[in-house]
Amino acid sequence: MSTTVIPTPAKAPARPLLPRLLPYLLSLPALIVCIGILVPFFTAAWYSLQRYNLAMPLNREFVWFGQYLDMLTDPDFWATVRVSAVYAVATVGLELLLGLGIALLLRERTRFNNIVSVALLLPLMTAPAIASLMWKLMTNPNFGVLSWLVALFGVHDFRWASAPSSAMFTVVLVDIWVYTPFMMVLLLAGLRSLPQQPFEAARLDGVAGHFVFFRITLPMLAPYIVTATLFRMLDSMQQFDIVYAMTQGGPGDSLMLFQVRAYLDFFQYTNVGTSAALMIVLWALTYALSNVFIKQWLKLRERTHGAA
Amino acid sequence: MALHKLLRAAALTLVLLFFLFPIFWIVVMSFQTNEEILRLPPSLVFRPTLANYTALISGHLQTASGILDITFLHNLWNSILLSTCSVLLALVLGVPAAYAFARFRFRLGEDIAFTMLSFRFAPPLLVLLPLSLYFQDLGLNDTYIGLIWIYQLICLPLILWIVRGYFEDASPDIEYAYRIDGHSWWRAFTRIAIPLAGPGIAAAGLLSFIFAWNNFVFALILASADKQPVTVGALAFVTASGIQYGQIAAAIVLSILPTLALALYAQRWLVEGLSLGAVKG
Amino acid sequence: MTGLEISAIHARFGRHEVLRGVDLAVAPGETLVLFGPSGAGKTVLLRAIAGLEPGALGQVVIDGQDVSARGPEARNIGMAFQNFALYPHMSARDNIASPLVARGLPADEIATRVVEIAQLLRIGHVLSHPPRALSNGQKQRTALARALVGRPRVLLLDDPLRNVDAKLRYEMRLELPRLLRESQAATLYVTQDYREAMALGDRVAVLRAGRIEQCDASETVYDWPATAAVARLFGDPPVNLLACRPVADPAGLRAEAAGFRLVLDASAEAAGKACLLGLRPETLSLAAAGPDAARLEVIATTPLHERLVVLLRAGDGTEIVASLLGAAPAPGAHVHVAADAAAALLFDAASGARIPARRVMAGIAA
Repeated sequence: MSTTVIPTPAKAPARPLLPRLLPYLLSLPALIVCIGILVPFFTAAWYSLQRYNLAMPLNREFVWFGQYLDMLTDPDFWATVRVSAVYAVATVGLELLLGLGIALLLRERTRFNNIVSVALLLPLMTAPAIASLMWKLMTNPNFGVLSWLVALFGVHDFRWASAPSSAMFTVVLVDIWVYTPFMMVLLLAGLRSLPQQPFEAARLDGVAGHFVFFRITLPMLAPYIVTATLFRMLDSMQQFDIVYAMTQGGPGDSLMLFQVRAYLDFFQYTNVGTSAALMIVLWALTYALSNVFIKQWLKLRERTHGAA
Repeated sequence: MALHKLLRAAALTLVLLFFLFPIFWIVVMSFQTNEEILRLPPSLVFRPTLANYTALISGHLQTASGILDITFLHNLWNSILLSTCSVLLALVLGVPAAYAFARFRFRLGEDIAFTMLSFRFAPPLLVLLPLSLYFQDLGLNDTYIGLIWIYQLICLPLILWIVRGYFEDASPDIEYAYRIDGHSWWRAFTRIAIPLAGPGIAAAGLLSFIFAWNNFVFALILASADKQPVTVGALAFVTASGIQYGQIAAAIVLSILPTLALALYAQRWLVEGLSLGAVKG
Repeated sequence: MTGLEISAIHARFGRHEVLRGVDLAVAPGETLVLFGPSGAGKTVLLRAIAGLEPGALGQVVIDGQDVSARGPEARNIGMAFQNFALYPHMSARDNIASPLVARGLPADEIATRVVEIAQLLRIGHVLSHPPRALSNGQKQRTALARALVGRPRVLLLDDPLRNVDAKLRYEMRLELPRLLRESQAATLYVTQDYREAMALGDRVAVLRAGRIEQCDASETVYDWPATAAVARLFGDPPVNLLACRPVADPAGLRAEAAGFRLVLDASAEAAGKACLLGLRPETLSLAAAGPDAARLEVIATTPLHERLVVLLRAGDGTEIVASLLGAAPAPGAHVHVAADAAAALLFDAASGARIPARRVMAGIAA
């Protein structure tokens, strides 16, 4: 005979207060930091709607979207967009190729490969601003070892960062030096986490090497590549340290990336309104891109967690 | 096959050369006198000198126009202070928060995590420029406290991101078992959860230290002259006139030495932290 | 009131209601097996009793005290998890000592009791090892030792033998009942293996889709399952359920399906209703041709222990599994199979409930 069931009304037991409040208490500091981010953010948004120059405080006035509209017709703004885009595409594209190549070279888990991959991390560990200084010394026209080296190949008086034509090349070079290891680490982790079976099957079937690479390796590596690319792209278009430490945006306007321009607008020309507007535009761009990135990253995380 | 190996060896040699040579060269320069540096072609054969380092440490620099007093060592101390304190504070604030996000599902947690994540890629100047004005108004612009607080913007999201993943990966059953044994949730947190997430916390702390140390723009905008870390200090150092190149190189070496040493010493955690931060999370 | 009593336990995850009102009572020293398919909510129920399920509603009473509002550390419960949940950074000794340390007992008493329970569970020789150096069997016994050492009033065992190899599982099945009885704790033991349920439990509670469908002595659950679903869960190979529409008969009900004709001692109220005839494979046997035997075609045979499992097909295409003794009939051959009417079950096709016998005598479960 089954146990007789007397229905009892379900009630929530009186729960002690602490466990319920606990998660909120624990995340209180993080919340405060969030507020610390959001308050300046909204302030910047508010400033961007005003014509506000610290040197002329009495002329401060609300112009709503006036500054944004001015930007759209300002050739300097578009120059900034172009320079930032060139920088971002050049650095990320080259870092991806180089990083992928190195990762493929170091794919096997040997002691030697591990040592090399750690050694290659060192540039990533240097402060980008300091890296710029290092390369500045090396490209010094009088004694820089790189200037001397390049002269050996018949290129004399290469102006490196002092000439508008070669300044972009120089800073891109520094960026590649600092950030390629980042790509390498990510892609190497991705490569090493790929399942072995498809490759073993391909070997058994006698498939050619480049076919394996393009039809098996690359597609499987795609999420890691996309993640790494987006990650770096978002950082690269906002690059400040390397460029500022090298030339402060010069020579002329050739290296006026977004943040460099905003910095100079604010501190040199004390123009709060325009620098804020520029940063809001940059933020909007990165927000849109980062949403794409976050979706990709979450998908990738699910996949690695599922396989784990 | 042999050709394949030769190509690979050649490629690796070029790669290693490209990435390690600059560091090597600056170290070499730091042990050279100005005459040796200016001599062309550059040579590896020379008599090394410690004069550049002693000059930096003592604070008295011999320049072409006399003696200059530069306290680069003070910048070094600022870096140590700022990075260490920022990371410690971020760990104290971040590890319990990461635990809360991992173990409890609550709306506020998701919102905070989302905000931090979306601002991870926001331009720093967006926040820093208004902050510089606030700092002046609040009187924070000549304090370490103000800087350490702002550095949380660098360290805290990283720690939350990495440590949360570690807590999520750990099975909660072990903590449950500990609580059923009779221990309070605090003891379960400190005696079980934290030790088991040790490697993740180490990786996150290490990475945060490196990011904090290498930070340039935060200090450039918000640090007053005597609170500047080495990243800003080195730049000011370089642009000061009449400084000897060997001394600049020595300053650069001192600036990058801590992070390079840390990276080599704790490489296992470093690689985990970097790839975790972007891949495994 | 002693032992464990739970009432009206509800739990939900989002929109999905996992537990829909569970009531149970377990006496001290008694082992109640919580049995059910995966996803039924067994682990959730254990966690709700332990206080680990924050969204659970209902009442948990241990030894007369309502502990529903207390945290897990204040309920005096011992629990063993499926994946052992040992503390990896502590030795086996420290793992076992943990409940005693939490209580603040003096060190020498802790040491004595740990050694005592370890010897009882035959892991005294590995006490100083960390969990990763132990075999699965040793881990499981360490987890059990940790659950038992504090002499808890209630023991919750979540399928502890699941991840242990077969030989050790049989050994523990022999040892556990004695251990549990001696501990005098009210034990709730979760398993998905019906044989384990019958071996270890004084009573079995069958949990399905968040509700207890039956709670009885294990033989009763096997012989007189309350619903067709319960019948299907108990038994390997599973019971054959054949659709039929019984008609009234002077001796009870006559049911015909797949060629079988049986007269069942079942209540006449089911006459004419759509029903399911339940024939357990081991109650079928080869017989001579006759009006009550079914003529079936042999599809395949496979040995299972000392019996032979034969897959048969009736004329109307219904597949029937029989568990026979003796020589294997050749595939393709036609055989006559008889069913034991006394062991046959009848279920209402719509509700799944078993149709009871005509006469219900006092004290006899029917």
